[in-house]
Amino acid sequence: MTGLLEVEDLHVWFDLQDGGELHAVQGVSLSVEPGERLGLVGESGCGKTTTALAVMGLLPPSASVAGRVLLDGEDILAGGESTIRPHRWVDVAIVFQGAMNALNPVRTVASQIVEALELHGRARGAQARAEAGELLESVGIPAGRGERFPHELSGGMRQRAAIAMALSCRPRILIADEPTTALDVMVQAQILELLDALCRDFGLALLLVTHDLPVVAQLCDQGTVMYAGEIVERGSVDDLFHAPRHPYSRLLFAATPDLDGEGDEVASIPGAPPRLDRPLAGCPFRPRCDSAFSPCASLRPRLQTVGDRHAAACHLNGVPAEAAR
Amino acid sequence: MRGADYVIKRTAFAVITVFVAVTINFALFRLAPGSAISNLSRVPHATQELREALKREFGLDKSKGAQYAIYLKQLAHGNLGVSFENQQPVSHNLWEALKNTLPMVLLGTVFAIVFGTLTGVIAAWRRGTALEGATVTTALGFYSMPTHWLGLMLVILFTGVLPTGGMANDFLINPSFWTHLKDVLSHMVLPSLTLGLVLYGEYTLIVRSAMLETLGEDYILTARAKGLKPWAIVRKHALRNAMLPIATLVALSLGYIVAGAILIETVFSWPGIGRAVYDAVLQRDYPMLQGAFLLLTISVVFFNLVADLLYFKLDPRITT
Repeated sequence: MTGLLEVEDLHVWFDLQDGGELHAVQGVSLSVEPGERLGLVGESGCGKTTTALAVMGLLPPSASVAGRVLLDGEDILAGGESTIRPHRWVDVAIVFQGAMNALNPVRTVASQIVEALELHGRARGAQARAEAGELLESVGIPAGRGERFPHELSGGMRQRAAIAMALSCRPRILIADEPTTALDVMVQAQILELLDALCRDFGLALLLVTHDLPVVAQLCDQGTVMYAGEIVERGSVDDLFHAPRHPYSRLLFAATPDLDGEGDEVASIPGAPPRLDRPLAGCPFRPRCDSAFSPCASLRPRLQTVGDRHAAACHLNGVPAEAAR
Repeated sequence: MRGADYVIKRTAFAVITVFVAVTINFALFRLAPGSAISNLSRVPHATQELREALKREFGLDKSKGAQYAIYLKQLAHGNLGVSFENQQPVSHNLWEALKNTLPMVLLGTVFAIVFGTLTGVIAAWRRGTALEGATVTTALGFYSMPTHWLGLMLVILFTGVLPTGGMANDFLINPSFWTHLKDVLSHMVLPSLTLGLVLYGEYTLIVRSAMLETLGEDYILTARAKGLKPWAIVRKHALRNAMLPIATLVALSLGYIVAGAILIETVFSWPGIGRAVYDAVLQRDYPMLQGAFLLLTISVVFFNLVADLLYFKLDPRITT
C-alpha cells in the first residue's frame, strides 16, 4: 500500500517554560491515499492538531519533530523549510477552525486568494483576479464579495472563503482542522456538504481533524482515534462505529448524544487524559478504562492488526507474545 | 464614500479640543503664584505709580473676564501678543526658538523611528534568540535612563570630540554657508543622539510587542501554510497590522516635537523652545507661555488627528 501522504513514526516534543518537555505526539503513523478521506478524532489536547500542523511543517520553533512525512514517497520534512515550502498549498493545503482569524483583517478576501495564485505561478494580475472570483463562486460566494474585507462577511462565508483559498492551487490533499467548530449547526451542515462536494469534484484527499464524531461519520471513509499523543485505533468508519476494538473508541462513540436515544443523560468518560510532560508506564488510557486488567498497568499496548485495515492498541485483543515475555 | 463622516467628526473634535485647551491655558498661568508685575518692576525702589503704570500698559488692571475676551479676540486675528520680557511679538519669539528646536528634535526622532522600528521587527522575528535578548536589554536600558543623566554621560564621553553646548561656534567669524552648516550639525549630534536613544528604546519595545502580537495571529499561520517566505510574511501580512499601534506612537511623538525637550535643551544649552518656555515660566511671561502652549496644543491635536485618520486608512474595520 503506497499512500499519497504517509506519516511514519511522527514524534513531536514541545519545550516547556520550566525546561521540561511535553511529548505531544508519540509515534503516530498515518496513510492517506489519493481521494481518500481520513478523520482524525480525539479529545482536546490529544495531539491531533499538532499532527496536522507537523505534516505541513507549521509548528512553532519551540517544537521538535522526529519521524518522516512522505509525499509521493519523498520525505518533505527532511530539509526543513526549504523542502516543505514548495509543497505547501501546491500539494497540501489547510483550512483552519471556523472561528479563527485565518484571513488577514486588513486585506480584501480576493487579494489573499490572488496572493496564493501569484505566489505559486498559477496566474497573474487580471487573470488571477478572475480566477479568484471563480474560486469564490465555486464555494457559493458571489465573486463581487471578494472585494470585501473579512470582517464584512459572516462566519460561514469566511470559512467558505478560506476553503476557496485552500483550493486555489489545486492541492491533492486538504487538511481541515476543526473546519466546522464555532459555526452554527445550519452553517456547519452547509460547510460539510461543500467539503464533501469539493472532495468529490476535485478528487481531493481529505485529512479531517475534529472532535466531532458525527462529522467524521458523515464525511470520512477511514477514521483514526488518538489518545494522549498516540493512535489507539484506526479502521474504516463503519468498523470504528459499529465494532470498535479499543475501549476508548467504544466509550467515545457512546458519549455522542443520540437524537432518538432513550437515555436522558449524555454519557461521559470520567477522568482526564494523562499529562504528557512525563513518561507513561503501561496503557495511557488505563486509569479511565472500564475494562482494564492485569497487563495494562505495566505493559504499553502496541497497535496491532485486528481486521482488514483495522488496528487497535489494546491488550483486550490479546497480549502480543513478544510483549508478554 | 466610507469615512466622510469620520473625517468631519474627528476634525470637529480636534477644533473643540484646541479651544478648551486655550481656555485652560489662559486660566492656568494666572492661577500660578507670583505676578508678572513684580518681575517686570524689579528695579530698585519701584514706586507704586510705576507698578500701576506697568499694569495698565499690559492690560493686567482689567478683570480676568475682560482679559480673556481680549485674548480670544486677538487670537482670532492671529495676534499672539507681545512678550512681557523682551517686548517682541510672541510669534517672533516662538519662531526663533522653534527654528532651533525643530531640526535637532526631528533628527533624534527620525533616528529613533527608523532604528527602533527596524530592531523591534527583528527582535520579534528572532524571538527567543540571544539577538532578541540583547536588543530588548539595550532598548530597556535606554528607555529607563533619565534623559538628563544620559545627556550628561554623553557630555563626559564626548568632551573634546564633539561640541557639548550651544548651537554654533560664536568665534567663527563670517563663516561660509557650508562651514556654518557643518558647525551646527556637529553641535546637534549630542542632543539629537540623547533624544534619539531614549526614544529608540521606547520604539523598539513597542514595535517588538506589536509585532509579536501580530505574528501570533492565525492569519500569519495561514500565510506560512500558503508557502510565503518569512520576509514576505512580515512585509505583506504582519507589518500592516503591527503598524496600527506604531502609527499612533509616531504621530504622538511628532506632536511633541514642538515642545522641544526641556531637559536636553538645558543640558546642552540649546536655545530652543523648551528653554524659552522654561524662561517664560520663571518670568511669568503670560503671552509667551500662552503662545507656546497654544503651539504645543495645536501640534499635539493635529498629529492626533493625523493618527486617527491614518488608523482609519490602515484598518478597514474602523467605521466610526
